[in-house]
Amino acid sequence: MALIVNGLSGALAAQAALNAASQNIANVMTPGYTRQGALLAAVSPKQAGALNAGSGVAVPALLRFSDGYKSLQMWQAASTLGGLATVQPYLSQLEQVVGNDAASINSGLDAFFGALNAASVDPSSSPLRHQVLTAADALAQRFNSLNQVLSNQRAAVYQQRIATVDGINNLTTAVASLNREIAVTRASGINPSGLIDERDQKIDALAKLVALQVVDQPDGSRSLSLRSGQPLVVGAIAAKLAVQGEPDGSQTLELTFAKESFKFDAANLGGELGGLDDFERRVLTPLMASITDMAKALSERTNAQLALGYALDGAPGKPLFEFDATSTTVMLRVVDGLVAKDLAFSTDPALPGDSGNLLELIELKSQPVGLASLGTVLFGDAVTQLVGKLGMDSQQNQAGLATAQTVRDQAEESWKSTSGVNSDEEAIAIMQFQQMYQANMKVIAVANELFDSTLAMLR
Amino acid sequence: MRIATTQYHSTMNSALQTAAARLETTMQKMASGERMRVPSDDPIGSVRLARLAREEAALDQYRDNIGALRARLVQNETLLDGISRDMLAARDLLVWAADGGNTSDDVRAMSGSMRTLVDGIFFAANSRDQEGRYLFSGTASATATVVRDDAAPAGARYTFTGNTGEQKVMVGNGVAQTANVSLDEIAGLLNQLDRAAETLGAPGVDPNDAAVRGELVVALVGVDTGLASVLAKIAGFGGTQNILETLDTNHANVSLSNKHAALDIGQLDYGDAAVKLNGYTAALQATQKAYAQVSKLSLFDVL
Repeated sequence: MALIVNGLSGALAAQAALNAASQNIANVMTPGYTRQGALLAAVSPKQAGALNAGSGVAVPALLRFSDGYKSLQMWQAASTLGGLATVQPYLSQLEQVVGNDAASINSGLDAFFGALNAASVDPSSSPLRHQVLTAADALAQRFNSLNQVLSNQRAAVYQQRIATVDGINNLTTAVASLNREIAVTRASGINPSGLIDERDQKIDALAKLVALQVVDQPDGSRSLSLRSGQPLVVGAIAAKLAVQGEPDGSQTLELTFAKESFKFDAANLGGELGGLDDFERRVLTPLMASITDMAKALSERTNAQLALGYALDGAPGKPLFEFDATSTTVMLRVVDGLVAKDLAFSTDPALPGDSGNLLELIELKSQPVGLASLGTVLFGDAVTQLVGKLGMDSQQNQAGLATAQTVRDQAEESWKSTSGVNSDEEAIAIMQFQQMYQANMKVIAVANELFDSTLAMLR
Repeated sequence: MRIATTQYHSTMNSALQTAAARLETTMQKMASGERMRVPSDDPIGSVRLARLAREEAALDQYRDNIGALRARLVQNETLLDGISRDMLAARDLLVWAADGGNTSDDVRAMSGSMRTLVDGIFFAANSRDQEGRYLFSGTASATATVVRDDAAPAGARYTFTGNTGEQKVMVGNGVAQTANVSLDEIAGLLNQLDRAAETLGAPGVDPNDAAVRGELVVALVGVDTGLASVLAKIAGFGGTQNILETLDTNHANVSLSNKHAALDIGQLDYGDAAVKLNGYTAALQATQKAYAQVSKLSLFDVL
């Protein structure tokens, strides 16, 4: 009775398809869910005979609608986006702090050189001299507070790097164990689609943290490595990343895989880990060095010029600033105990009203100074140029970020267009497979009637 | 292309966020009136703005200096003016004393007046500021301009102990103006007047005596020389005041054009911002309406 068997196979196939559709509809909002469908195949006739149409329909497997290439694109986009997005908050904060004109070193320098200028009206006047001391103190404070902001940023970068590395370790461990589960599940004939979705989502999260190379293995597992080739996950084994603190306060990365451990360059890693390194190397460190250079040059040159002059009482000039490169809180300060009359504005110990040395001090503003990130610039223009450079860095990052976001959105859309559920499509599938089920049931009913007719003949 | 059901929601989400970010930025700019909130909004513009601010700060300082310097010059001018009037009075006395019709007593009375004038000039030349520094001692401002040694004979009692050093005030970028004036000629003058007073005050002095007349003529020439010198210094103040006024006007003009430039670079174009705000709002509303329409469509509703 091929009719009954065929009808049954059709009804079972329709049930499987309806099952798949119901699973799809249930997961219409599940992030990362890959839709499935019943793969239908006609069964060739099992008995000989020219009039044998076939032995019904079979569902050899559930079809997983996925495109590995689209997943890869999505992960690459996640790395680029992660790298740029993690840097932007740092850049924005720097811009706000350094770019704020009222609180910047620029206004501090204006006030300091303004006070020196004002003192030239009456170089022996105590209030005018005192104003120079006050302005010098305020300028030193501005240097210190900016230096502290930069130090805090570096501490934040270091903390985030440690947290990122922890995140990477968690995710690689999860991917490795999913790799093992998927291999076992496949071997025991269970549909691994849900596990694959979970693993792909872990890989997506991992790609946001660091750029990956993904290689599919025949057993269904996926091997991951860093862009520079170091292995992260091979089958069911995960590598372990660690952050090492160096004696000079900087950080390096170390990777341990199967009892082998080695240090590697953090440059060009991609993702948040690469972004942090990029920001630290390209923006933060040069900026810190420039601010330190500036404070040092200000202190050294002012003190050297003052040493050439004489105070109001004819005593040789004393230094105004004290510079300490190792201190993050008090990098620059006015020498303790210095009073207004100690400022050496005169070129002659006998002439307290002379302002020759004061005029030389005023000239310091238009002298060139060598900075780590800019080369040689004029003293009074240095901070302006630093802010300009920072603005350009931030602008470039924002433009890159917008592009990366668009690329990621498109990659997601493209992934969804293959793997995402469309509820209307599922509605049609439900209707069609319901009809298929009903029609096959009708076939069985007809077969039953035919059988009844045959039996009735024998009565 | 096949569209997944959740894509509508994602698209709506990102459209909402983009629109909200743009609206936020535009509204922040409108609230502050500034085209650039942070340097990255326009790095070149912000550098230009910062440089203008630096120049403005320097100009403000130069103009402050000019104001203070002009006040100081006026004070000096007033004091020198007083000295020159005393010198004129002394000259009048000398001329009067040289008149042969005076009696010995007349001339001795003139000697008293002369001494008063000499003291007046001496004290005026040693004028000090509020912090006790001598105004006319050049850069040796802690030293008296003129000292008197009562033990010395008349004609050598007064000595100039200041110097002729100049105090330079910055009144422009690389432009320094002298702020002080030294009364280096005043000691010689005081000595001559002192000597004349001594001669005239001598008991039984004969104003027609050739030696006395010779003294008076010398003193007269000395007063004329000193007066010319002091008047030249007063005239110099006038010239300096004019230069300072010109400089101040120049600074004011540059400052004005800087402020214009800063407004051009930094100020928000409200018309443009309002148009953008409208555009963003309209785009947001359209997206919301489209979403409302699209999300209503479901095949399940008609099954």
